[in-house]
Amino acid sequence: MRRALALLVLAGSLLATGAAPAAADSFVPVNGAGSSWSSNAVDQWRRNVEQYGMRINYASTGSSDGRNQFKAGTVDFAITEIPYGLKDGGVVDTPPSRGFVYMPIVAGGTAFMYNLSVGGKQVTNLRLSGEVVTGIFTGTITSWDDAAIAKDNPGLALPRRKIVPVVRSDGSGSTAQFTTWMAARHQSAWDAYCKAAGRSTPCGVTSSYPTIPGKGFVAQPNSQGVAGYVAQRGNVGTITYVEYSYALKTGYPVAKVLNEAGYYVEPTASNVAVGLLGARINTDESSPKYLTQDLSGVYTNKDKRTYPLSSYSYIVVPTSAQNGFTAPKGHTLGAFASYFLCEGQQQAEVLGYSPLPINLVQAGLDQVGKIPGATDANVDIKKCHNPTFSADGSNTLTKNAPQPSECDKQGNDQCDKPTGGAAPAPGKGSTPSGAGAEPSTPAKGTTSTGGTGTAGTGDDPGTDGGAVTGPTGTDGGGDAGTAGGGGGGAVVAGATTGGGPVVCSDDTGECTNLVSMPVETDAPQSGGVGPLAVVAACLLAVGLVVIPPLVSRGAAARKARR
Amino acid sequence: MSATMQAPRVQPEVPRDADVPRPIGTRRSLGDRVFRAVLLCGGVAVLAIMGFVGIFLFLRAWDALSQAGWDFLTTQAWEPDSGNFGIAAILVGTILIATVAVVVAVPFAVGVALYISEYAPPRLRQSLISIVDLMAAIPSVVFGLWGFFFLQGHITGLARWLSTTFDWFPPFQVPGSDPDDPLATATVYTSSTFIAGLVVAMMITPVIASIMREVFTQAPVGEREGALALGATRWGMIRRVVLPYGKGGMIGGTMLGLGRALGETIAVYMIISPVFAIQWHVLANGGSSVSSLIALRYGESTPFGMSALMAAGLALFLMTLAINFGASSVVARSRSGASS
Amino acid sequence: MADLAPARGEVRRQLTGLRISDLLNLCGAGAAAVALTALISSQLAPVTSPLGFVALAAAIFLALYALLVSLAERGVAVRDRLVTVMVHGLAFTVLAVLVFIVVFTFARGAAALPHLNFFTDDMAKAGPLDPLDVGGIAHAIVGTLIQITIALVITIPLGLLTAVFLTEMPGRFARLVRTVVEAMTALPSIVAGLFVYATLVLALGVPKSGVAAATAISIMMLPIMIRSADVVLRLVPGTLKEASYALGAGQFRTVRQVVLPTTRSGLTTAVILATARGIGETSPVLLTSGFTAAMNSDPTSGPMVSLPLAIFQFVKSPEPTMVARGFGTAAVLMLLVLALFVVARVIGGSNPLKKDERRRAKEQARARRRTSRSKRPARLSSLSALAREHAAAPGGSTPVKHTPVEHTPVEHLPLEPSPQEQS
Repeated sequence: MRRALALLVLAGSLLATGAAPAAADSFVPVNGAGSSWSSNAVDQWRRNVEQYGMRINYASTGSSDGRNQFKAGTVDFAITEIPYGLKDGGVVDTPPSRGFVYMPIVAGGTAFMYNLSVGGKQVTNLRLSGEVVTGIFTGTITSWDDAAIAKDNPGLALPRRKIVPVVRSDGSGSTAQFTTWMAARHQSAWDAYCKAAGRSTPCGVTSSYPTIPGKGFVAQPNSQGVAGYVAQRGNVGTITYVEYSYALKTGYPVAKVLNEAGYYVEPTASNVAVGLLGARINTDESSPKYLTQDLSGVYTNKDKRTYPLSSYSYIVVPTSAQNGFTAPKGHTLGAFASYFLCEGQQQAEVLGYSPLPINLVQAGLDQVGKIPGATDANVDIKKCHNPTFSADGSNTLTKNAPQPSECDKQGNDQCDKPTGGAAPAPGKGSTPSGAGAEPSTPAKGTTSTGGTGTAGTGDDPGTDGGAVTGPTGTDGGGDAGTAGGGGGGAVVAGATTGGGPVVCSDDTGECTNLVSMPVETDAPQSGGVGPLAVVAACLLAVGLVVIPPLVSRGAAARKARR
Repeated sequence: MSATMQAPRVQPEVPRDADVPRPIGTRRSLGDRVFRAVLLCGGVAVLAIMGFVGIFLFLRAWDALSQAGWDFLTTQAWEPDSGNFGIAAILVGTILIATVAVVVAVPFAVGVALYISEYAPPRLRQSLISIVDLMAAIPSVVFGLWGFFFLQGHITGLARWLSTTFDWFPPFQVPGSDPDDPLATATVYTSSTFIAGLVVAMMITPVIASIMREVFTQAPVGEREGALALGATRWGMIRRVVLPYGKGGMIGGTMLGLGRALGETIAVYMIISPVFAIQWHVLANGGSSVSSLIALRYGESTPFGMSALMAAGLALFLMTLAINFGASSVVARSRSGASS
Repeated sequence: MADLAPARGEVRRQLTGLRISDLLNLCGAGAAAVALTALISSQLAPVTSPLGFVALAAAIFLALYALLVSLAERGVAVRDRLVTVMVHGLAFTVLAVLVFIVVFTFARGAAALPHLNFFTDDMAKAGPLDPLDVGGIAHAIVGTLIQITIALVITIPLGLLTAVFLTEMPGRFARLVRTVVEAMTALPSIVAGLFVYATLVLALGVPKSGVAAATAISIMMLPIMIRSADVVLRLVPGTLKEASYALGAGQFRTVRQVVLPTTRSGLTTAVILATARGIGETSPVLLTSGFTAAMNSDPTSGPMVSLPLAIFQFVKSPEPTMVARGFGTAAVLMLLVLALFVVARVIGGSNPLKKDERRRAKEQARARRRTSRSKRPARLSSLSALAREHAAAPGGSTPVKHTPVEHTPVEHLPLEPSPQEQS
């Protein structure tokens, strides 16, 4: 399905571009290195431009390695999440002496994928505020039944289970993007954590996540590693930060994160793109942070659809012909740049990223002309076939991106629709131009039906009336009575406060909350025989087998002696 | 076949009556002199290359070493950019992984070696030898993939059982685990030194087995015959003749396996969850190793961080060097080692 | 890999002889163990994992088997049987696990392997979203072959020269070289890559390319090869060289016509084992070869990818097709290593040697049968003669070293280093 879609997208983009890049014929190979976070997109793009005769070689060896190699002149471009001149762990990374500019290349949201179940059923509609996310990943919130989590999730009664944060063991771009956000928004908590981990403060952005021994954090290499770890069935209680695409592909849900407008939103491509509309680029040429991102506008974007942990990675391109960089290379790189800023972004969503919105594309196109030899590159935004705006330059994203439903509003009972990879696969997929990912896809026939009426909400222990409580789960005893009547509660809540743009009638059918299912405990049945009885029975069984031959042998020996 | 782990011949030849070529006093011909010059050049070139690598390692490490000083040996944390780093935890972690690997691998390797040299039908023997040699050459990335995609998810049951059954044995305790809590997750048993050690064990078993098989096969036939003639069972013969004869080879093989386990990169990289504190609990989550740390961090480290990584590499290098020397001196003194 | 001991006529006796009672004991203990484990795990103490089941069954089996044997035999024999069973068990466990690792790799790569394009295409026209019938790893295969060829061109002459140097010109300097080389076999392989990156690429301006990668691989392979070759060369009997000198040959001639031919098969194996290690290493090429998805057969310019590097990149992708490609690539890499072993056997000339050995062994066996049939005492006397010969050997060391030289050199020295030398 996705493949067919991808081919369609590709075909569409080919038709649309026409002969623009194909006219330029004298391409030479260009080499780059850097971010492994962006590599999936870059890998697809370099394959797409291969047909124009462009050869882009990209080694995803890590952002810092990319920056160092660009500085040393061994590559023609680098892709990185962290610009030069920042302190990573207290050491300033000096910019290269060769001329360079930054351009946005790949955008995406940091998703929080988790593996959590209540009473044997997977939780798929977790919501978290920024404070809670920071608390979890700085080790101050350690149990899923923490009051702060309960406050975000009035519809869930989470068990007293340990939270196991899974972080990246290698240096990575997703760590950099996550810590950029934490350093900007929750600096004191982040600095306190860093300090406990033995780093100098202020900690700021870092690409290798510090861990404190004994805190119960798990570190794994690569996105594949963290996602795979969380997705192991036994690892219940784990949560990790990872690209949205990994959650989709492993079939696990992601947490909705609270934004400035008071809505909990999922890191879908359109939500990230909407968020990035708030990104500003430093255009002060005298500043050492010239052309680097200022994401504070993203974190505080008032749009209801904003996913706050949105960011993008840079491509660092040279502006002077030195270190083996030549005008023909610049020509190729310029053509590639105008490709990935425009047509290439149409595939961003299928690849698990988000398309760059108009403000970032414009900022990027402004820089393309500075690459030596790339003067003829397409820098007219009107000819840019980016999915987030139309040919006349109007921002279609703000018009078309779906609004969050009212049940996602802070304080309301949460939606029951599963998130991330736990959501049923979209039947038709999203259209190439529609940046909206899964816009209110009817979730039908998931495991979430059934059990609505089995238990009343009346005997919910300890929660205020009407709120949905899952089974307490700690006893594992299998008493279905504690299971809340989630369906009813959620529907009522949605209806009373409702009236949001998203049709809730679709949802009502599936509002039978996943977590409100009757308890099916997977704990081993501990009742019955006690351990002493087991030992006794084992001894008896062994004795039955062993004693007769021993007796007979003894008898034989005695006989022989006689 | 023969050649096993050789002792580095530091002192010329061992027994006085061994057949050493006599020193020849005649003048060498022109051809010979040229030949010797070429040989010398080869030796010098290799020494230069290897020396360069060593010097390179030392120079790159110097920055970090000079800043950290002796604390480098005692600090457990690894935050080079904050000036707070040392190899106490990662070196111990490396040794622990290697120890687990060797402890698991040696019994299996002895089993394989004895089977091939003593029990296998002669028709099968040759193919078994080839299989084991081939297994020793499986690329380590394959083991890493297996450990990451398969073993990691299937071994926690064993780890849990070990930790609950042998609770009285401190290294097997798992802090944070509570067997009585039905909601306890398996995560405390994952990414442990134990699992990494198992993968490395699978990697070094064929290597060790191959060496041991070599020495076992070389056990003198006459002595075997003697033992059997005196009424020994096959095991009696093995215990009294083969094992004592092959002791040097067994130790040497183990040491070489240990060396490889200490330096293993990719397989450990894929399993371990690095923790920068000495982690004695081998079954508990978290561990560390020098070479996997280098592989994990080199892409995203600052020049000073790189220097710290090189310093860790240097420490590992010196340690492995010491182990190699230890192994070779043991082997050189043993019976079978003399000719191997 | 020839066995030394049988080569000199001392043939080990085959200790077999399976009696029906042994077989019955095994079967009985096995059946009882499985039954008992099933009983315990299903009724008494739940054993959830299959691994636990097998372990429990094995323990019960050993206990029951010991019991059964002890009914008829004395303690010594019981221990012998137990050890026999345990050795078999350990050996088969290891083989099973290793075979499983190989099979697992093939199984996970099974989606990619049936496509012919996987072996004939490069990845230039295949991205993460493309199905498996587009793109392949031909570029990585070619890259690996080119890189390993360059590495061999560097290491074989240098490695063998140094190994000969170590044996032919012993002295303090040789000792130093040997010490350094042995230390270098323990070098973490990523350090070799860093070294080449810092010197060749950064300082000397060689672009990241096949040559740079091959140099890094060479630095990793060189100590391994020297060490293995050194072992083999040192085992050449002094008598052999002495005979050559006595005939008036110079040192060069002795090395060329006596030492090298004698150790040919061993040296080949040394080369192959170093190659097998070098071909499978990711870390040295990670920093030095660059990365490309396209075929590049020019090692001097442009990035060139090799099989381990391709695996490493493939399995990091979120796309299942890419992960399948990664496993497929791993399978291809293993096949390549296997092919190398076959090549080693063919080129290394161990075949004629072994054939020779086998022929001799067969002749001896025939002769023994003849003699034993006609006159039994003769065989006994020949055995005791053998034993006497062995006892006379100083130190009781291996037969080879002390047997007098009588035939062509080749016959004495089926010398090969063993795989451990690669470590």
